[in-house]
Amino acid sequence: MKAAAFDLVRPRTVADALAALADGARPLAGGQSLGPMLNFRLATPERLADIRTLAALRAHAETDDTITWGAAVTHAEVEDGRVPDPTGGTLRAIAGHIAYRAVRNRGTVGGSLAHADPAADWISALTALGGSVRIAGPEGEREEALTGWMSGAFATQLAEGELLLSVTIPRPRPGARLAYRKLCRKEGEFAMAIAAVLDDPARAIRRVVVGATDGAPIIAEGADAGPRAHAAIDAWPGEAWKARLLHVSLDRALGDIAA
Amino acid sequence: MTTLTVNGIETTLDVPPRTHLADALRETLGLTGTHLGCEHGVCGACTVELDGSPARACIAFAAACAGAVVRTIEGFEYDSVMAELRAAFTAHHALQCGYCTPGMLITARDIVLRIPGADEARVRRELAGNLCRCTGYQGIVDAILAVLAARRG
Amino acid sequence: MADGGSGKGVGARLPRKEDDRFLRGKGRFVADIRIPGMREVAFLRGPIAHARIGAITVPEAHRAAVFTASDLTDVAPIRAYSGLKGFRRSDQPVLATGKVRHVGEAVAMIVAATRAEAEDIAGLIDIAWEPLPALVDMAEARATTTRVHEEWPDNIVLETFVDDDLSDIAATAPIVIRRSLRTARQCMSPIEGRGVVAEWDGRLDQLVMWSSAQMPHITRSGLSECLGLDHGQIRVISPDVGGGFGYKGILLPEEVALGWLARRIGAPVRWIEDRFEQLSANANCREHAYELTAYADGEGTLLALDCEAMVDAGAYSSYPFSACLEAAQIASILPGPYRFGRYRCRTFSVATNKPPILPYRGVARTGVCYAIETVMDAIAEATGIDIETVRQRNLVRSEEMPYTNVTNKVFDSGDYPEALRRAAAALDIPTLRAQQASETGPVRTGVGLSIFCEQGAHGTAVYHGWGIPMVPGHEQAQARLTPDGVLELRIGAHSHGQGMETSLAQVAHTILGINPAAVRLVHGDTALTPYSTGTWGSRSAVMSGGAVAAACETLAKRIAAIGAHLLQAEAGSVRVEDGSVVAPGGASVTLREVAHTWYRAPQLLPRDVDPAGLDVTAGYKPLSDGGTFSYAAHACAVTVDTETGFVTLGRYVIAEDGGVCLNPMIVDGQVLGGTAQGIGTALYEEMPYDGEAQPLAASLADYLLPGAGEIPRIAIEHMETPSPLTRFGQKGIGESGAIGPPAAIANAVNDALRPLGARVDALPITPRRILEALARAGR
Ligand SMILES: Cc1cc2nc3c(=O)[nH]c(=O)nc-3n(C[C@H](O)[C@H](O)[C@H](O)COP(=O)(O)OP(=O)(O)OC[C@H]3O[C@@H](n4cnc5c(N)ncnc54)[C@H](O)[C@@H]3O)c2cc1C
Ligand code: FES
Ligand code: FES
Repeated sequence: MKAAAFDLVRPRTVADALAALADGARPLAGGQSLGPMLNFRLATPERLADIRTLAALRAHAETDDTITWGAAVTHAEVEDGRVPDPTGGTLRAIAGHIAYRAVRNRGTVGGSLAHADPAADWISALTALGGSVRIAGPEGEREEALTGWMSGAFATQLAEGELLLSVTIPRPRPGARLAYRKLCRKEGEFAMAIAAVLDDPARAIRRVVVGATDGAPIIAEGADAGPRAHAAIDAWPGEAWKARLLHVSLDRALGDIAA
Repeated sequence: MTTLTVNGIETTLDVPPRTHLADALRETLGLTGTHLGCEHGVCGACTVELDGSPARACIAFAAACAGAVVRTIEGFEYDSVMAELRAAFTAHHALQCGYCTPGMLITARDIVLRIPGADEARVRRELAGNLCRCTGYQGIVDAILAVLAARRG
Repeated sequence: MADGGSGKGVGARLPRKEDDRFLRGKGRFVADIRIPGMREVAFLRGPIAHARIGAITVPEAHRAAVFTASDLTDVAPIRAYSGLKGFRRSDQPVLATGKVRHVGEAVAMIVAATRAEAEDIAGLIDIAWEPLPALVDMAEARATTTRVHEEWPDNIVLETFVDDDLSDIAATAPIVIRRSLRTARQCMSPIEGRGVVAEWDGRLDQLVMWSSAQMPHITRSGLSECLGLDHGQIRVISPDVGGGFGYKGILLPEEVALGWLARRIGAPVRWIEDRFEQLSANANCREHAYELTAYADGEGTLLALDCEAMVDAGAYSSYPFSACLEAAQIASILPGPYRFGRYRCRTFSVATNKPPILPYRGVARTGVCYAIETVMDAIAEATGIDIETVRQRNLVRSEEMPYTNVTNKVFDSGDYPEALRRAAAALDIPTLRAQQASETGPVRTGVGLSIFCEQGAHGTAVYHGWGIPMVPGHEQAQARLTPDGVLELRIGAHSHGQGMETSLAQVAHTILGINPAAVRLVHGDTALTPYSTGTWGSRSAVMSGGAVAAACETLAKRIAAIGAHLLQAEAGSVRVEDGSVVAPGGASVTLREVAHTWYRAPQLLPRDVDPAGLDVTAGYKPLSDGGTFSYAAHACAVTVDTETGFVTLGRYVIAEDGGVCLNPMIVDGQVLGGTAQGIGTALYEEMPYDGEAQPLAASLADYLLPGAGEIPRIAIEHMETPSPLTRFGQKGIGESGAIGPPAAIANAVNDALRPLGARVDALPITPRRILEALARAGR
């Protein structure tokens, strides 16, 4: 199938991009999710604003406490270590198992967070790390914590006309660990189950995210986050065998932390 | 109008924005070595080199590639790494119908250059995004491993 | 067979001649063909599985671009009737007429400047649907009053029955095994889809059609029947074809439609199937259900087999193989390579609201191998005999060859027990058993075997019995020496990955000594090649190989006669070798000189020269056309993660006997590629349908094809028992690899699950099926 007709604009600045969005355009980043949707005519926007090369979205920055990736940083850039990884390699490894290299070369972190596929990787991993996103819109800029980001499958706090600018990830302290388990049968496939667990004793943080739940992820915090996430899976309405996979991924991630 | 560089030649395309890069290459420029197998990013038949790295031509839109540098299989005619891969593909019977082959070669070349130390497991993992329905992959994997080994000396 | 030491003849691992163009992106597939003025076609396909078509409303502005059944009044429906007794006839309309019977059935054909614009118009067409109950499951379709074809009394396309009263055995057999097995509906999924370019040539009064087709001559015959054109008015060209596997072995409604359209609008037209069309409208193979009862004695000898099998045949009967080939094949080949004497089998081909079934690589063999090999493991389990021994006790032995089995198949040659022994030995089962004994954790090892024989290159005797529109007879080939000494071979079969440009050049080399580089294969064009039923049924190496050999032999005689005259030698005294005619004293003339003489210097020819010249058509049929039987044993180890239900393939060994290999490298390639497909059948590939018969896997992210990471390194143990029936002793082998894996892998998975009391009785073996089986077992 071929995409329905659309216009394409290529704004040079965030302001231009916001103007285009105000004019009804939908952001096009790497196109690795939107492209297939357009080809399937599942998405039929009248106008796209190509934001993939906007300098502001391509940047990355570090402070003592955080690192920030522009929304248009690609999965491959994370994989290759071309942008800093505050976990000392776990995010690089996660990136390396998203889709395939040819997809990772184009697909962006911001696009993944904005698209909010329940089975996508960044949503779960960066939520566990306590990440937040910076958003620009007609009313100015704001920050949203990823813990409250998804309201359902493919649904986020992002409003029409808004642009995701960057994601900021707090640096885990020394001694902290991020465990990440993605269960899928084929390399590059979307996950059947995801568990991400951050254990950061110095900050007294234990956060568990269970993804690929067909909706917003299960999030639990605190010392008993593990058992509470398990309980939430028990209450999850999906099929029993899928719930079992969620439990297994969680057990394995918790096991990685304990190891 | 979109201007980009295709196989070393600056090219101006007059295609509607909805035309994906693979269709622009194939239909407008006659570069039919780039194949289409799914048009949703999974099969890898359309893989081209875009700004130096492999990318899916079926889900990149030509108009969004203004200023880009594109290399299709036809653009590797005199590339030495590709020459090694071609010879290895024949020697290891890495193709049957040949439909996946151009995309497979572009991915293979990226593996050889990006991961010179790749072992069999890594090569198989890196090939995940290129489906072949004919060969069962063994010849392809062996061909790439042979080129890697030869280059390591 | 030796290749004469040249490294280029039959038996040599000659690198392929066809590779170069593909490696440079210069292959020419149907979608690569552009004709000036060409228009693009999209089909509007029914979104409902079963519905009456009410008013079709086309916006005024697009009336001229849209064609429906009411426009195709001069087109006959596709008719693939079988002569088997009781076969229920149905017609497949080229565009849906009255109602649609499966999701994706074409209702309207839209022509525009680009495919995108044609799809735009398709989106503007409104159809008043009157939904009918959809038949999604074959068992349900047997019971209901809803009809896929209203004029039928029920939904049974064909029932076959091999009867035998097994009550004596049932009463006494110490071991009785019962199994209910299911295989999934699959999509064959060549990476290139189907596609058609059609043009009406006014000068020749001829339809010229390029189609991604395995059997261009059959397509031409079908087009002739549907379009009312004589064969001379139709030329079908198969360019490079990006994989077939059976998917491109039929007459497509789209081919008929475009053939009609090109003439109607007076412009070339093109339709290229996209993956969504392929998955949603054409998941069309493999779906079987088996109810098996097997009787064995305490030594593990299979005494009798009783089977009731169902095949979901979908909504129509595809041309030329018809809707009953699959089920009828089940009845005849379920006994596999085993020698038991009592057999009862009832089969039902059932119509449902799903795409019409097509024979996919291996056809019913993949399912029946899974069925009989499941029985073998069950007997092993019941008797406590190991899985290799139980099979050895039941296999046909080499000293019994040729062997006529319980369904009157004549196995031509081979040593089945040896193949099994080799595969099992290479797997090293004792070490795996020791490993299993030490396992207590969630990851369990399993060991699986399967063995089968594959009837290939079967011809008149077999197909006449089906009574379908296509009965293969003699295969023909043409051999022509050109004025500069190049050998042109013309065959009516088609190579789309099988490497025939190379292996047939090797055949020519073996007979004429000509350098394979100087041989050109002309194929895939009905205007240039002799009639052939095409490439299917593992037949081309045997049939085209035999025909090319025959043509080259006749050509060699004519060349020798001219050469002897030029050498002033006795006609009978010269030899044709190394591309020359050689006299006893060693003097020689090259084929090029001979050819030059015939075409350019006829004054030098002998008076009694054969006036037919250096252009030969020869025909070939094996000594018996009941088929060659290649065979293979597959042995594999798996690990099952019982927490996730994920299966990882370990060591995988195949002992394969395809008779004499024209080119062993190409044969290995066929086996490896087929095995990967069989692994897909075993573990990944399934088109699920919802209760309304809606296909649920719309993309390759949902319909999983195995990638490089899912396929283990496969070791092949070669055996080479010549077939006594064929020219070089070669056997059909093209489908083999796809047959054995589901059986071997399912047995291995169930072996791993056995200590936990769980068993999976359906393909593919997905995490869901494993976890649900474990849950049923209380795990
Ligand atoms: C074959 C294949 C396999 C894949 N496998 C995986 C996988 O295993 N795991 C995984 O996580 N992902 C996977 N993906 C998805 C991939 O990671 C995508 O890159 C990602 O989901 C989207 O990023 P993108 O830049 O391509 O966004 P696009 O496709 O360009 O956009 C996606 C959506 O986000 C919106 N958007 C994009 N950027 C912004 C922005 N800055 N502000 C506001 N809205 C924005 C768009 O409007 C659109 O709605 C796969 C994709 C493919 C094709
Ligand atoms: S055609 Fe682009 S990935 Fe399949
Ligand atoms: S060679 Fe046919 S798909 Fe790879």
